[in-house]
Amino acid sequence: MDFKNILNELEQAGQKINGRRELLTGFGSKVMVAALPFAVGSLFQKASAKTTAPDTVPQALNFILEMEYFAYNYYHTGNNTGGLIPAANQAGFLTIENQKKAHINYLNTVITAMGVAPFTPKNYDASAANPLYIVSGAYDFTAAGKYLVFSDYPTFIMMCEVFEDTFIRGYKGEIPAVLGDKGTLELMMRMQSSVGRHASHARYVRRLLGYTSAPEHPSPWITDNIPPDVRLQAYYDGEDAVGQQGVDISGLSGSTGAVPHYSATAAFDEAYDKSVVLSLLSPFKT
Amino acid sequence: MEIKIAPVDEQVKEMDKGYDVSRRRFFQLAGGIAGAGLLLSACHKTTPNKDVYIGSGDTALLNYLYILQQLEAAFYTQAFATPYYGLTSSDYDLLKDVRDQEIAHREFFKRLLGADAVPDISTDFSLVTFADRTSVLTYAARFEDMVISAMNGAVRLFTNTDHVLSISKMITVEARHSAYFRNQISLNDFSNGVVDTNGLGQSATPASILTEAQTFIHTTFDKTQLPN
Repeated sequence: MDFKNILNELEQAGQKINGRRELLTGFGSKVMVAALPFAVGSLFQKASAKTTAPDTVPQALNFILEMEYFAYNYYHTGNNTGGLIPAANQAGFLTIENQKKAHINYLNTVITAMGVAPFTPKNYDASAANPLYIVSGAYDFTAAGKYLVFSDYPTFIMMCEVFEDTFIRGYKGEIPAVLGDKGTLELMMRMQSSVGRHASHARYVRRLLGYTSAPEHPSPWITDNIPPDVRLQAYYDGEDAVGQQGVDISGLSGSTGAVPHYSATAAFDEAYDKSVVLSLLSPFKT
Repeated sequence: MEIKIAPVDEQVKEMDKGYDVSRRRFFQLAGGIAGAGLLLSACHKTTPNKDVYIGSGDTALLNYLYILQQLEAAFYTQAFATPYYGLTSSDYDLLKDVRDQEIAHREFFKRLLGADAVPDISTDFSLVTFADRTSVLTYAARFEDMVISAMNGAVRLFTNTDHVLSISKMITVEARHSAYFRNQISLNDFSNGVVDTNGLGQSATPASILTEAQTFIHTTFDKTQLPN
């Protein structure tokens, strides 16, 4: 089988597949994945092609802005709830709140400069003392009483972890929409790198609260697809992926033997489409 | 030339708990590190004075990131093999995690590059005191921050956007690492000095990052065709 034939086979395989998992399975049966690192790229584009039109750049940024509003309102409420956050931890959550606020302000400027109206949450009031904080009618971070985030500190931390991990997935889901705009692409990378720090902090604080009693044994990074609460599984589905650009990461050389499976999953954060992220955040909106 | 760390790794395995670093062990480690330093300086003198060509376009960019991942993986391999004094059981587990994730990144770039991959680099960690917690955590954070800046600045230069998507998945993992080491140095200081007033992480050009990284690398590179 020469190279051209392999490519033809891959093209045909590409017509039939819908997802990455299927792609990897089908692909592995055709050829050694290792043999064709560069052929795989075009396949993924085919596999990930959406039936709906991709977002425009301002639409992508407005979705990021929507996530940042959600995040800011969560931390602003938590930081202003007396007795919730222990004194030793307050500085960290104030830093996160301030960086979410900075993201909102910066995105407002960038989107406005593109000639598009920036996203505003439900019940937004530009004349309010702090318009970024929606006092009522936009968010219910308890999800109708399921998660007592502002009366129970461990629950507050748990949802910090889940929200931050989900925002990171949301950023990655919109990167294909901004590939043609290098300035926006770099902006998204720089912004998500600060969100990565927020996620790390939330997970580290949760680890300090009790490593062994937590189902996911929290590390600052996501290992496999294990949620901190079984009710939150959907937020972590797919995080156990080990295939990246057609390379099986768990099949690469590790320190001794192959890279451990859990490290292969943790070494890459996974994307989620905007529609998935919006549905995951919807229980916390009114 | 590669530093052979296997014997030290064996010492770690022989212990009941790798993180139970006794005072006696501390001095053994300090000796081991002095020896590693000698080995590195010997290596420096014998390295041929010829720049390694890293390619052009996307190949050069992948090699650039591959070099940085080699640097990180080598650092954590050494840090895990000769753990710092006072290492806790949690530190031990997470240091191993970070080492294995950076090795995964390194091997991923190597696989993408195939025959175009640069050879194994020769590293120089003589500035690091591996027996000292603060030294290890400080350099760990520095290397992570350097790689975050590098990746943030490199994505716009790629032609093949599949590489961009993969790198975007690694950036947040590197950010998780950096924030962790910074939190270990001082809780809540996970972004001090590395996130600006707009809430943006740092970004730097390949040329500036390679110059910074060269402090820790004996191998020199022909980067004339590296996009910038």
